[in-house]
Amino acid sequence: MIMFSRSFISETGNLTFDYYLKIIQEPQYYRAIFNSLGFAMTCSLVGGLGGTLIGYYASRLPAKQRSLLLSIYSLPMTLSGLVVAFSFIVLLGRNGVINLIVQKIFNLPKSTYFDIYSWYGLVVVYAFYQIPLMTMTMAAVFKNLDYRLVEAARNLGARPLQVWQYVIIPALAPGFITGMSIQLAGMMGAFGTVLALVGGAKNLLAIQVYYHTSESTFNLPQAGALSFVLIAITSTALFFLNRIEKKLRPGG
Amino acid sequence: MKHKILLILLILYVIVPILMPVIFSFSTFWQDILPQGFTTKWYLAIIQRPKNYAALMTSLLVATGAVITTTLISIPTSYSLNRLDNPFGEKLRNFANILPLVFPPVIVGTALVQGFSRPPFALTGTVFIVVVAHSLLGFPFMFRNTLAAFRTIDERVLSEAAASLGANLWQRLRFVIIPNVWPGIMVGALLVFAISIGEFETTSMVAGFSAQTLPLQLFQQIRNDMRIASAISAFLVYVSLLAFIGMTYLSARLYEDSSQ
Repeated sequence: MIMFSRSFISETGNLTFDYYLKIIQEPQYYRAIFNSLGFAMTCSLVGGLGGTLIGYYASRLPAKQRSLLLSIYSLPMTLSGLVVAFSFIVLLGRNGVINLIVQKIFNLPKSTYFDIYSWYGLVVVYAFYQIPLMTMTMAAVFKNLDYRLVEAARNLGARPLQVWQYVIIPALAPGFITGMSIQLAGMMGAFGTVLALVGGAKNLLAIQVYYHTSESTFNLPQAGALSFVLIAITSTALFFLNRIEKKLRPGG
Repeated sequence: MKHKILLILLILYVIVPILMPVIFSFSTFWQDILPQGFTTKWYLAIIQRPKNYAALMTSLLVATGAVITTTLISIPTSYSLNRLDNPFGEKLRNFANILPLVFPPVIVGTALVQGFSRPPFALTGTVFIVVVAHSLLGFPFMFRNTLAAFRTIDERVLSEAAASLGANLWQRLRFVIIPNVWPGIMVGALLVFAISIGEFETTSMVAGFSAQTLPLQLFQQIRNDMRIASAISAFLVYVSLLAFIGMTYLSARLYEDSSQ
């Protein structure tokens, strides 16, 4: 609350909207918002697709293998973002193991290296968090899927594509939306691994807040305003996803 | 057979990155595809360097502090929220679940810096504020597990039975409720401990120079000395793994108990 109210008060103590105006006016800030949104959506989509596929696969496994897979997939949740950054530097960094192997086998020039420090690379790194997270959500959703419905549809002569279109996807949609909203909200605020990998080179909203609070560009009211924008975007997205989820629910 | 391979690949997807710092930390040299030599000197370096050793101690202190704080807050909160049967109680319980989604670490950090940077609460840069930050971040996880434990036991019936036998509130808590929800609390405690040990985002915003935790040292070392960084990373991986094993064991026990 203090943070929120301070964002309206200027250095001289007057009520002001300057800090919010600045967000709209200065490209540094509004680009950060778009970058954050784009990055969060891309990561969520990657996580959503990967997680759904693996979740489906997990639901068909024997119980023992499934619980093994799922408990291992709960590991990244407690792992420090820095550890993940470190691991991926070793694996995929400029002199990373995988890059070296690819280079030795195919004898490619240096320019074809996988670049972990690009947007593309960051998505791959964050997929390490997002895919397992989504897998856990979707595995639970698939587990609750009533296979009698699928069989009933088949008995009525539905082709596999029709079964997916009319039975499976509508049944899964609410869970999928919930999973996606968790992912999107998490990604909007994620910055630890990004900071460790590229520093401030990638302009994200969370990184901007971080730099305005604790680094050279110390400007607390601006940080407050940016934080408020971040919370507003996340809450709005969660609100709408929640509405969609309720609509998709049977009887909703 | 094809299924086995896919399963193994999927497991490796998570395991390989986790193992990287561990392998790195035990090897003397890793510039080529395979690491070379075996050594424990990077671990010794953490213990022997006063700066790193102090960070290790700070980390352990902060994590313990956060666990104690969240436990003390979570037990009464879940006790009372578990008893709120009306829609408002349901709303509060849901709110606690989405709390960490709406308020990511960076926001918690900014809010703390803004709230506690001036006298009389000039706490930024002290160990105390780091404990507060980690407690705030860990609370939803602790609360979720404590509440889940309260839901698996029939707390009200147990309490009423104990009360009819003449137990007062303290005795009911001490001898009936807490022993029953203990596994849930322990799962939450391990989770909070693991999160706190690895937490970097908020810590770096509020800690300053006097309250350096291990992840902050790691952040500096990633740019300077990958070998020291590997030992710190590996240590954080061990903490995560231990917490993970403990949680798996405890929750297995919790569900066994409740299914009997």
